Amino acid sequence: MRKEDTVKLISAEGFEFVISKEAAMVSQTIRNMLTSPGSFAEAQHGEVTFPEISTTILEKICQYFHWSLQYASCHMTAIAKF
Amino acid sequence: MSNQKKRNFQIEAFKHRVVVDPKYADKTWKVLEHAIHEIYNHNASGLSFEELYRNAYNMVLHKFGEKLYSGLVSTMTSHLKEISKSIEAAQGESFLEELNRKWNDHNKALQMIRDILMYMDRTYIPSNHKTPVHELGLNLWRDNIIHSSKIQSRLLNTLLELVHRERTGEVIDRGLMRNIIKMLMDLGSAVYQEDFEKHFLEVSAEFYKVESQKFIECCDCGEYLKKAEKRLNEEIERVTHYLDAKSEIKITSVVEKEMIANHMPRLVHMENSGLVNMLLDDKYEDLGRMYNLFRRVPNGLLTIREVMTSHLRETGKQLVTDPERLKDPVEFVQRLLDEKDKYDSIINKAFSNDKTFQNALTNSFEYFINLNARSPEFISLFVDDKLRKGLKGVSEEDVEIILDKVMMLFRYLQEKDVFEKYYKQHLAKRLLSGKTVSDDAERSLIVKLKTECGYQFTSKLEGMFTDMKTSQDTMQGFYASHPELGEGPTLVVQVLTTGSWPTQPSSTCNLPSEMSALCEKFRSYYLGTHTGRRLSWQTNMGNADMKATFGKGQKHELNVSTYQMCVLMLFNNAERLSYKEIEQATEIPAPELKRCLQSMACVKGKNVLRKEPMSKDIGEEDAFFVNDKFSSKFYKVKIGTVVAQKESEPEKQETRQRVEEDRKPQIEAALVRIMKSRRVLDHNNLISEVTKQLQQRFLPNPTEIKKRIESLIERDFLERDNVDRKLYRYLA
Repeated sequence: MRKEDTVKLISAEGFEFVISKEAAMVSQTIRNMLTSPGSFAEAQHGEVTFPEISTTILEKICQYFHWSLQYASCHMTAIAKF
Repeated sequence: MSNQKKRNFQIEAFKHRVVVDPKYADKTWKVLEHAIHEIYNHNASGLSFEELYRNAYNMVLHKFGEKLYSGLVSTMTSHLKEISKSIEAAQGESFLEELNRKWNDHNKALQMIRDILMYMDRTYIPSNHKTPVHELGLNLWRDNIIHSSKIQSRLLNTLLELVHRERTGEVIDRGLMRNIIKMLMDLGSAVYQEDFEKHFLEVSAEFYKVESQKFIECCDCGEYLKKAEKRLNEEIERVTHYLDAKSEIKITSVVEKEMIANHMPRLVHMENSGLVNMLLDDKYEDLGRMYNLFRRVPNGLLTIREVMTSHLRETGKQLVTDPERLKDPVEFVQRLLDEKDKYDSIINKAFSNDKTFQNALTNSFEYFINLNARSPEFISLFVDDKLRKGLKGVSEEDVEIILDKVMMLFRYLQEKDVFEKYYKQHLAKRLLSGKTVSDDAERSLIVKLKTECGYQFTSKLEGMFTDMKTSQDTMQGFYASHPELGEGPTLVVQVLTTGSWPTQPSSTCNLPSEMSALCEKFRSYYLGTHTGRRLSWQTNMGNADMKATFGKGQKHELNVSTYQMCVLMLFNNAERLSYKEIEQATEIPAPELKRCLQSMACVKGKNVLRKEPMSKDIGEEDAFFVNDKFSSKFYKVKIGTVVAQKESEPEKQETRQRVEEDRKPQIEAALVRIMKSRRVLDHNNLISEVTKQLQQRFLPNPTEIKKRIESLIERDFLERDNVDRKLYRYLA
């Protein structure tokens, strides 16, 4: 994946999770961060730091993003448990 | 699951960093306030979205939403006040540009702020019924900038000034206009309407009032309409380019009112260029433009229609009562057809086939065609002319077209039964002299009349055609059974059924012996095959072809009427004959005899007889000789063909009388029909019912109807009610 398509999410402990932008944008807040008109630091560097979110939580969040994306298009077909 | 398990199930509270710091709220707010300042100063890069978002989130979470919100309001307000000053300071041209630039900045900043404060927007604001951030930003802009005393009127005036400049032909920055107007629209339709649109419409009305006054003084109708159309299109274009689409209908109605509705009567009646002139000159483009423009205003089309109708009626009335025109019936009808064609094409090309205009045309024609009582006669004469010679060499489709047009005029007639009478007469003459150009055309017209008026109207006419056919067969049979007659003069007999043909009283006439013998043979032949019938010879309607040799040996074939034949045959046995002698021998009634002698002796080119004295009129003492010096460049000479002409006064009176006579039984039949089904009816209703039933054929005169009612009462068909004298009862 190219650098422009990814974004780095950094947990409180400093762990870096590199995921695709598409996955990250599942969250409205992150979407706003990255697409807000002003030149905020996050959008410029492509990194978002969460000083108050622990690594384990952030990991779960990233998993949720991917699960959501996977089943975003299909309606009722077998959706795996998250 | 057992109850015990439920009891042991506990949910731990989420462990979050709880802040006890009382100044926490102030500190957090300071961070956010600083951020907002930076955003407004275009210094936002480097700020951490996450940090700001988190701070706002925390404030709301810890119930400091109120502080956040009011802080937001005051910060934004103070920034906007500064912005307002900088806009006010802008000079002249750059005022709008500055406003536009600051507006864009504000929007961008607003979006950033909203993104950061998203959490508050979603939770604190709805539950406390506050205005959301975005809307708040717009409202603050509106209150502090647009409605600021120094900016409000300046903005409006600048915008109106630019519109005015564009109207007078200058080019303005439409993009900038569009952005400013869009700003007003974004602030709410109330702002757009109150702060701009309302004044725009007022100023526009003023502008167009003045302009229309100026134009109408100096332009003629066509030019004025062009200008009005141009302005209208300009305004529509203006709206698409930089105004709210909803304004289109409002501004167009302003233009329509000022430029068109207020000046409608003056335009229509303008001397030398108004509606009437356009109609006369077939100015399709101008008329089309007038139609399109007037259609937009109330009563616009009505005005056009009224003027057109009254003009048409006037012209029609003149056409129809002009004594010059009345001399030539064919010309008369042709002029009517031309007029109809003209207006049909105007309605088609300029008024887009509008039905109401078609109806107005029909009404006008009905009105003036019936002003002249001789219209039915003239139309019949027109058809006669066409069927005799006018349609020679014309293609079948064109024939249909002409006949259809004639049918249109026929429909306008009120007195259709008069037309029927004349048509029968003219048809009889055509058939008997064999002068019809096309049998198909004749039949086609009969079919059209039948479709229009029903079988009754045309049954007699069809009978006439049948008689002609039958007579042909009879003649064949006659000559087949009498082969010895092949040597003598050839007789052609048309046997006419009395009921179908127009009755003419036949007068006495002594046929020459050769002819009378032949006629008797025919009579006995005919009565042999058809018992119970009576034949009477109509000598006034026949014609004959005779071979004649004159003094210098010149031979000619003469086509003459039966009367003329009788007279000429006398000269086989005599050199000189006096008027009295001729009268005695032929027993032809005096007026007829005089006429036929005149046509043979006094007309140049047809003077096969010589008269002494050479006067124009036939005197009782005149003498007649064969004109040995007769010459004509044609071998075949036609004398005295019976052409259908328009009637002389006495003839006209006679026909009119016969028509009136015919109407009486028809009225009576209608009365009986109505009373039979209604049993009891009052006078006024009876009159209107009868009129309605008969209007297909003619318009009955109420006095005449009354007379017929009286007659029916006398004959015990009806009776008057004893109590109510206006009520009639049917007597079975």
